[in-house]
Amino acid sequence: MVLGTYKEVVAARSTDKQIQKIAQDGGIVSALFCYALDEKLIDGAVVAGPTEELWKPAPTVAMTAEEVLAAAGTKYTFSPNVWMLKKAARQYGLEKIGTVAIPCQLMGIRKMQSYPFGVRFLADKIALTVGIFCMENFPFASLQTFISEKMGIDPSLVEKMDIGKGKFWAYTADDVYTLPLKETHGYEQNGCKVCLDYVAELADVSTGSVGTPDGWSTVLTRTDAGETIFKAAVDAGVIETKAMDDVKPGLGMLEKLATDKKTKAMKVIDDRKAMGLPVPYKASSEKEDPLANV
Amino acid sequence: MSERVVISPTSRQEGHAELVMEVDDEGIVTKGRYFSITPVRGLEKMVTGKNPEFAPVMTQRICGVCPIPHTLASVEAIDDSLDIEIPKAGRQLRELTLCAHHINSHAIHQFLIAADFVPENLFATAVNSVSEVRKVAQYVVDMVAGEGIHPSDVRIGGMADNISEVARKKLYARLKSLKPKLDEHVELIVGLVADKGLPAGLGVHNQPIFTTDNLYGNRDNFDMDRFTEVMPESWYDDADIAKRACSTIPLYDGVNVETGPRARAVQYRGFTEKGVVAQHVARAMEMKSALSRAIAILAELDTSAPVRADFDPRGTNKLGIGPIEGPRGTDVHMAQVADGKVQFYTCLVPTTWNIPTMGPATEGFHHEFGPHVIRAYDPCLSCATHVIVVDDEDRSVIKNEMVRI
Repeated sequence: MVLGTYKEVVAARSTDKQIQKIAQDGGIVSALFCYALDEKLIDGAVVAGPTEELWKPAPTVAMTAEEVLAAAGTKYTFSPNVWMLKKAARQYGLEKIGTVAIPCQLMGIRKMQSYPFGVRFLADKIALTVGIFCMENFPFASLQTFISEKMGIDPSLVEKMDIGKGKFWAYTADDVYTLPLKETHGYEQNGCKVCLDYVAELADVSTGSVGTPDGWSTVLTRTDAGETIFKAAVDAGVIETKAMDDVKPGLGMLEKLATDKKTKAMKVIDDRKAMGLPVPYKASSEKEDPLANV
Repeated sequence: MSERVVISPTSRQEGHAELVMEVDDEGIVTKGRYFSITPVRGLEKMVTGKNPEFAPVMTQRICGVCPIPHTLASVEAIDDSLDIEIPKAGRQLRELTLCAHHINSHAIHQFLIAADFVPENLFATAVNSVSEVRKVAQYVVDMVAGEGIHPSDVRIGGMADNISEVARKKLYARLKSLKPKLDEHVELIVGLVADKGLPAGLGVHNQPIFTTDNLYGNRDNFDMDRFTEVMPESWYDDADIAKRACSTIPLYDGVNVETGPRARAVQYRGFTEKGVVAQHVARAMEMKSALSRAIAILAELDTSAPVRADFDPRGTNKLGIGPIEGPRGTDVHMAQVADGKVQFYTCLVPTTWNIPTMGPATEGFHHEFGPHVIRAYDPCLSCATHVIVVDDEDRSVIKNEMVRI
């Protein structure tokens, strides 16, 4: 169960040429939000939108397809989208909110829905959560530091960033730069070291590049709401799918990375627990499945 | 022969108070005294020495029934102490919040007094009507101020955020469609109060009214030189009551006053009636005034305008005055900020103004009408921290004088 509870897993990509061009991989997040907005399944989405500072995203309420697309593409630093949810329900007056979140943010969202302290009338207004696979996340200053100092490029020239094949990739207009992932270790957020969730186990729909070829994404539908919206988008022809068995490298790769993240984090959790440090997870000896996200 | 009728605590109100009536052989009240028995508020003390931003967050917890006026009075007092001029849109959003709260809070009172006025066959209708009105009103407070009960987005210097254009249109549409519903509701309440057939002249007194503004609050109309405050010991002519009474007696021009919806209606809306029925009618009619003002604000609000001013939080120890017209009357917070900390803080809450007037207003009628007179003021005395004394060492309770019903 290293991939959490899910209904179905498929390889998928947006059929929209424009989304394909600007998206990180298969453009699933953009395609789903655009479709849900068009069909009025959501009336807005909290996304990681652009700011005046390149590569530093900020939570933005997108209420049109244009606004969703302006936020397309992965930023490897934090966008505190959860913080914006209440404002989306209040000052923006939204009643069906979609949001994109990384695993730790989803844990926050689900906890907030279970214990709505200070967020009355918000829990039931969250209509669609799309989770993205996440191995780790970098503070903005970390990202700038290793791009400019280790890769030797001006961060403002970077047009796309990516992680894959054991490397951190930076694309400028003319060149492609890489940095072995182990060179980025120590720059990630401290909390990532104890995180047991790689595949956004608490989302309605989770997606990420691992397991599928370039230009495609792996998609796990997890809840009734997620399954309904995803299937409807596929039926409407907005998203095309392939069976996971028909694509390379396949589900095995995703399971391997999820297991790796959990195993590594579980060791840190156990070490910290042994030292008597507070960790918001159980020790491996305290749970049935030592890799469970609890 | 004079006899005493004591109602303690008085019911169908928020908080605890005692009504002591001296009656003659016919049961007619010859002397009425009403006083709060809810002890120590204390929240003002908790605010002293803290950052000014803490004051509205803390003092809104004075009450769960009218937290909006307390929040607004608190930010207004601190705005004044720090000499902050808030942007127009910020002020509009504050007023919009209060207008919606007037509607909500008056509806709560109508629910509380339903047992007095509503016959059984109409009870469900009246309660449902209250619920429908409250639902829309609270939705506005939620959207504009962040939370319906303890609003998080009313801030020193204005409001945390403007609302979006989508939200403005949504609220405008909802309030517009509330109008026929509210008209019907007000007609129902006014009709039920009339049907009760309370004796003419019940609750009429000759004390002046006190109010600072039509619906919001205006510090220009609160003259500190005309305001004094005396202790219950020098007010009540009964030593035992004077000792037990828990709130101070605020006076304007040296006399006790009536504040609240009737006072505002007389001062700003040409209303002339007096007494219990007039108070209920003025309260119900004020819901219409508040709705119409809320709709007007939403029609003209610029959702792209700034709502919060920059300010220097250090302060000059100026005494800031924050009078807000709460549903039950004028709520005045006063604050002094210096060196970035609150140096002094005090709250003069609506019912405190009314307390010395309410007792005597029961006089001249049978004591059975006493509670009606009290309830017509919609008294709210839950503005208190409930205090117990605990032994430092073994945590045992040494003293617990909380009122139990």
